[in-house]
Amino acid sequence: MQLDKFQNDFKDLVLDNPEALKRIPKDLKDILRQDDIPLSERLKVYRNNIIGGISDMMIATFPIIKDLVGEKFLAGMARSFIMKHPPGQGCLNTYGAGFAEFLEDFGPTVTLPYLPDVARLEIACNEAYYARDDHPIAPEDIASTPLKLRSSATLLRSDYPLLAIHDFCLNGHEENETLNLGTGGEMLMIYRPALEVQFVKLDAEEFKILSMIQNGKALTEAIEKFPDFDFQSFLARHIRLETFAPLRTNK
Amino acid sequence: MSTWVTTIWTTNIKMTNNTPPAEPVGIGLRHPYYKDVLETDLDLGWLEVHPENYFGGGINRHFLSLAAEKYPISMHGIGLSLGSDQPVSKDHLGNLKELVDLYNPFQISDHASWSASGNAHLNDLLPLPYTKETLARLSDNVARTQNFLGRKILVENPSTYVGFNNDEMSEFEFLNTLAEKTGCCLLLDINNIFVQSFNHGLDAVEYIDGINPAFVGEMHLAGHSEHQAGEHTILIDTHNNFVRADVWKLYEHAVKRFGVIPTLIEWDQNFPTLDILVSEADKARAILQKIHGKEASYAAG
Repeated sequence: MQLDKFQNDFKDLVLDNPEALKRIPKDLKDILRQDDIPLSERLKVYRNNIIGGISDMMIATFPIIKDLVGEKFLAGMARSFIMKHPPGQGCLNTYGAGFAEFLEDFGPTVTLPYLPDVARLEIACNEAYYARDDHPIAPEDIASTPLKLRSSATLLRSDYPLLAIHDFCLNGHEENETLNLGTGGEMLMIYRPALEVQFVKLDAEEFKILSMIQNGKALTEAIEKFPDFDFQSFLARHIRLETFAPLRTNK
Repeated sequence: MSTWVTTIWTTNIKMTNNTPPAEPVGIGLRHPYYKDVLETDLDLGWLEVHPENYFGGGINRHFLSLAAEKYPISMHGIGLSLGSDQPVSKDHLGNLKELVDLYNPFQISDHASWSASGNAHLNDLLPLPYTKETLARLSDNVARTQNFLGRKILVENPSTYVGFNNDEMSEFEFLNTLAEKTGCCLLLDINNIFVQSFNHGLDAVEYIDGINPAFVGEMHLAGHSEHQAGEHTILIDTHNNFVRADVWKLYEHAVKRFGVIPTLIEWDQNFPTLDILVSEADKARAILQKIHGKEASYAAG
């Protein structure tokens, strides 16, 4: 058996349901040594290492969802996700970026419609943590230099009070304590200006303008589109927050 | 004897490694230890990191930069997938090279195993049949990596939980040949040799005695776990506990054969406090000094 065929068959088997270990393909059976320990037991060690290891990483990436649904349930969802969307590279720092979309179609949690947005918040935090360091634009350059948002920034709009959910789950709560989800949604920027991931609540027009800049539009276009908007306060606030970086760097 | 090897390996690349640290024993720098490692003065020669944890950027790099000011760094990869039947990822190599250029590690290593097949990366160190075909694929990828980095790498022996009917040579012969063909060094994980011997009925001492000492550039020590498969036991390389007494004994044998070699204590799950981890490093140093004297220094080469 050729090396590529072995590796492909092995991969298919460990990414399949656990029951697949009861029907190991003949080619794999032929190449793998048989002894007193059933081959399925030996291969189970690998399946557990692979799926369990990646699932543990996802549990660490999604602490709010862990609090909301429990670690066991999250591990189960993670396993389904991994089998469908295995990692595509050897660096797993930002693995799980598709988990929010996955949860939108995940039958067992349709009664928790806020879960995908909670996942988006946690993905944004994780990506900000691992984003490449960059520097804010110098305030004196802001009018004359094309802008972009900091490389760590995600803009997120939700119908649910994500920050309240975040604080409720991560700052500790009583077992029977509940949170009112009817307080309305919010618009957020999640980013890392220096060594800590930060959340900034945005108002509707501010969100739209930052979205335009993130989509490559110039600040002048935004000014034309929102003639009544107070850009002076907007710029003062975002200079203070260090939201922007120069579009092009010399590096 | 090597007519089946099709690749022309390294030609003019300067393949020297950086000087090893004066003090031979190191520990793995992991997230829970960032603060303590930076704030405490430890009797350690070096720190090991998984480069993948620092790819691209992120807050982790801030801690690595500070740690690298205090200790020499060794980069021990877990994601190159050198044994895959496909070339090592260019992206992965590019990310690794960026870190090598930034932190100038004294060693760069990865494993004699595979993780990637097609577009899936399975995030584990998976087993290889020891055949000429595997040796050719693995050698190609080791050579690609060394050429790309302009540096010699070390390749580590794995722990495996299945064996192959089509093996054409023993694991130590496979590793010796790999080093001979590519100019890479070997990173001998003594715990893996113990696990491998238990799981596949090999003689661990014979394995160590079979390795050509000229190739050995680093040794690893870690804890393993017992997994019950019915009435049988499979040892699993879990890095979640103290180094076992039998593994220390085997290390002593290896130190006698290989000399004073940079040695790492690995602990990657169920993290103990830093002082416990450092006391494991002290045990390794005590063995090096017992065999080679208080002034234990590196053998020539």
